[in-house]
Amino acid sequence: MRIPKLLQAVLVLAGVYFGFIVVFDVILEAVIPSSLLVMYMFFVTAGVFMVFTYDEEGTRELVAPIKALVEDPSKRVWRNIVFVIVPLAAGAGTYVQMQPSFEAPLELRTIHPAPPTTAKIYGKRVNLLKLENPFRKLEKEDPEQFRELVEEGAAVYIQNCQYCHGDKLDGNGPYAAGLNPTPLNFQDVGTIAQLQESYLFWRIATGGPGLPKEAAPWISSMPVWQNFLKEDEIWKTILFLYDYTGHSPRTWGNE
Amino acid sequence: MMAGGGLKKYLPPVFAAGFLALYLGPAMAAPGDEENGEAIYAKRCLQCHGEDGDGLGPAAERLNPPPRDFTFGLYKFKSTPFDEDLPNDGDLLRMVRDGMPGTAMPGWSGLLNEQDMWDVIAYIKTFAELEGEPETQVDYGAQVATSAESIAAGKTLFHADDRCSECHGAEGKGDAIKKLKNDNGDRTWPRNLTKPWTFRASNDPKDVFNRITAGIPTTQMPSFADPKSKKKLSIEERWHVANYVTSLAKTEKVVRPANTVIQAARLEGEIPSSPEDPAWDAAPPSTFFMVPQIVGETRFFTAANDTLSVRALYNGDKIGLHLEWDDRTKSIPGDPKALSIADEDLTEDAVAVQFPVTLPAGMEKPYFLMGDAAKPVNLWRWSGGTTEEAESVAMIDAMGIAEQQMRDAGGLTAKSSYKAGTWRVVMTRPLITGAADQDLQFEEGRFIPIAFFAWDGSNGEAGSHHAMTTWYWLLLKPSASARPIIAAIAVTLLLGAILIWWGRSARTRAP
Repeated sequence: MRIPKLLQAVLVLAGVYFGFIVVFDVILEAVIPSSLLVMYMFFVTAGVFMVFTYDEEGTRELVAPIKALVEDPSKRVWRNIVFVIVPLAAGAGTYVQMQPSFEAPLELRTIHPAPPTTAKIYGKRVNLLKLENPFRKLEKEDPEQFRELVEEGAAVYIQNCQYCHGDKLDGNGPYAAGLNPTPLNFQDVGTIAQLQESYLFWRIATGGPGLPKEAAPWISSMPVWQNFLKEDEIWKTILFLYDYTGHSPRTWGNE
Repeated sequence: MMAGGGLKKYLPPVFAAGFLALYLGPAMAAPGDEENGEAIYAKRCLQCHGEDGDGLGPAAERLNPPPRDFTFGLYKFKSTPFDEDLPNDGDLLRMVRDGMPGTAMPGWSGLLNEQDMWDVIAYIKTFAELEGEPETQVDYGAQVATSAESIAAGKTLFHADDRCSECHGAEGKGDAIKKLKNDNGDRTWPRNLTKPWTFRASNDPKDVFNRITAGIPTTQMPSFADPKSKKKLSIEERWHVANYVTSLAKTEKVVRPANTVIQAARLEGEIPSSPEDPAWDAAPPSTFFMVPQIVGETRFFTAANDTLSVRALYNGDKIGLHLEWDDRTKSIPGDPKALSIADEDLTEDAVAVQFPVTLPAGMEKPYFLMGDAAKPVNLWRWSGGTTEEAESVAMIDAMGIAEQQMRDAGGLTAKSSYKAGTWRVVMTRPLITGAADQDLQFEEGRFIPIAFFAWDGSNGEAGSHHAMTTWYWLLLKPSASARPIIAAIAVTLLLGAILIWWGRSARTRAP
């Protein structure tokens, strides 16, 4: 039996809707924001309507059941039911929509804002585009000394950073649950693996207050490490971050 | 994220296997490769536990509790009987795999596979020259399922002869004034049993039974299975106590990460001024984690307070905040009892609420740690008082941790109570003060940034040494309005009328 056109349209829309839910909420475990879902569904509905009303015959077939429901005397009972349920549902929807929301306001912030070209760090103005980790070259030139530096960086990290970023560098240290925004997970391929060492140096040295406005510097609990650590300690810690996670810093060379 | 989902699916069987190993028999340890264990230890463990396994890694001083010293082979959580000092290998695996909640020790199951963990364990055992394992197990007998009768029996045993209440306190909050030390001479605190989510080795009745039965080695928590103990308990009695202990959980003090808004309900009458007034129970509590202040000079890594629960009420003129937190010590400088229990300089217990001076128009708030020069904050700071001075409240204008100015409290009031290890403080202030340049003016229906600070005086906390939260929200919930229901009725009637008109006209047109 051929599925009536109206039902086809409804099935397509329902399929897409639940498809979104299944893909985002279930498979990806990232609940899709309802405002986004509404927007997607608006476009999908518009598209489906255009396809189904491509020619006159299609249009007629699509609206035929609706027309019949409204006009056909034999469908009186159904008509009455629909004419009561639809206004009631719309009323209930309005009521729910108008209830005041006590959800916290959504605060969107950029997690990795574009760095400035220069920044004032340790009292000097440094060019972040040219800044390099002074110890990085030892990785090839003197592996033994490099290992020592990594270990010194590990000690700095464990004394200062693990409370939030965790022993495993997974952003899940003992204080992490009390912080919003949550500490960055360095094991994740989307964090330090995507960044240059100069970027990390800038983020560590100037901390939360050194962020540009789009990154909401007022809520970041990242300390201003130039107040607590020496310059070489930060560079060694950066060596440790890459060494422990097995990531490589992004460089200008391979772009 | 796919990986995350996959991992979650993979974890339960691992846990299940772990519990089987623990409960069915100790002898499931796979042979560990010490050499590989040493390499893993050097990369993952050494920073805290030290090169020689003595718990003296670079971070040792700043960690609370301190990292374990492996050289004695003694561990707090073991499933061997009280007269056996050493743990089974399965106990060690569990600590490595699942970590110690509330400490810097993470669970390693995500980074290390099980063989790696066995290898590390083989290496860790060499620090105390341990070989093999005891292969004995506490006698669980027949588990007594929890029930009102069992809990009541447990409660009696808990209090009889001051058996458990001697340290854990009358209500189990660990507040009985005792100065406990571990074998190393470090200060230890009896567990707050009303917060079972802070237990290091789970609050499953079976684990609680295990602790009561085997004690917690290296601490003053004794075994209640020891026949020589005057307070010893039979297996059945220990199950009753375990059931009682697990019943003590105060679930309203569990932090719910999604709950970031303190909803203040509107009252018609007066704001209850007493912290013990049952009217406060009507307001839903929001509980937040507190973390040590390690952002501004000078940093402090070992704050005592871990959570704070907040309720709020308001009426036509005033806002009232009810703050509640567990504190094992009532720190009153000058009081001999408080002095005897304090670790360092005894200071006043204190709590502060932080608001921006001006409600932000967009999302830009003052710096979360006591504001900044461009965006100052108000701190409402209550102090518990000394033997000389009564409790007090101060209004502080702050533009950063180092820029604080105390001024007249104006209409701000505070009143406290301390009962069985819990502080409750009520602060009230008029909604509008008429000085918008220095005081926040409260508005109904607006999301108002709010943050908290707490000082535990017996832990020597004062100045920048304290626990804190980041920004949350306070909302003065507007009283219910009739608009949604009126709009809903209007939409229903209008749509109904349109449909009927449509149907009628269509049928008239139809042949």
